[in-house]
Amino acid sequence: MDFLPDRLPWFIAGPSMGLLVVALYALGNKHLGVSGGYVQVMTGVRRPRMAEMWRVWFIAGLILGSLVLSLLRGGQSFGLEYGALSRLLPLGALIPVLFLGGMLMGFGARWAGGCTSGHGLSGTAARSPASFVATISFLATAIVITFAIHFATGGRL
Amino acid sequence: MNRLGFLVGIAFGFVVAGAGLHEYDTIHDMLLLRDIHVYLILASGVGTAMPLLWLMQRRRVKTPLGGTIELYNATVEPKNVFGGMTFGTGWAVAGTCPAPAIAMATGGGFLAVFVIAGLGVGLWLRDAMTGGSGLKSLSQVFKKAPRQPDAISET
Repeated sequence: MDFLPDRLPWFIAGPSMGLLVVALYALGNKHLGVSGGYVQVMTGVRRPRMAEMWRVWFIAGLILGSLVLSLLRGGQSFGLEYGALSRLLPLGALIPVLFLGGMLMGFGARWAGGCTSGHGLSGTAARSPASFVATISFLATAIVITFAIHFATGGRL
Repeated sequence: MNRLGFLVGIAFGFVVAGAGLHEYDTIHDMLLLRDIHVYLILASGVGTAMPLLWLMQRRRVKTPLGGTIELYNATVEPKNVFGGMTFGTGWAVAGTCPAPAIAMATGGGFLAVFVIAGLGVGLWLRDAMTGGSGLKSLSQVFKKAPRQPDAISET
């Protein structure tokens, strides 16, 4: 069943994502964003009736869609692999690092009003000034920090 | 609307995982400026959506499920910069972001669960700390009406 390329070429993946942003606006007048979905899932757990249900369904779709893709690719590769990061850090250090990274992302996304999808992709496509600023901010910061990590680890990351 | 959200989510998850965005090395190489794959995806995605959204906005398209189209439009505030810097730091450390983390987990990458847990805690923590857009306001919302239409600015 391994008929999919290792990764879809950018000229398929990019425009498809763009069209999904457009479809959500054209059909439902809604703004695509993933961290907002996380928030609605958490709201939904506490107070189901107060959640924006379509965002909860969106997250459910993300889970299903990515699951289907990995099945089409020949099944999940279960494991504790985490790219170059897991080759450098022992598991005991990797887990807190990943948790902290996630926490920074969650905190920052809520602070900035969106993440790579809500600001970076759909916010800039909607020409929202705040999204351009947030995107430049997180992209520039991520590049600087990544280079800092690169040099701090002697180029192993 | 729920069905639409579900369908768009399925397609989005499919493409995110299909493009390899759920792999640490893809994002790490992007941020080390070694690989332009992700930049091309982002640029072509925005390049596809922007003119179409602009056109729909200009024509005041009536959407079947959500009334006349109204694009997300927020003015710049300091939080966009500082929140962005915080998000960017976490992005660099974990080499993934909210959608790819889900794709990583469904692909069998168990460690993504810790990123997702961190995301939940971080989102919650920011909510708990702020009166403006946080749990406090959520708790007010709980007692009163459903979320305001401008909840979109909190995506």
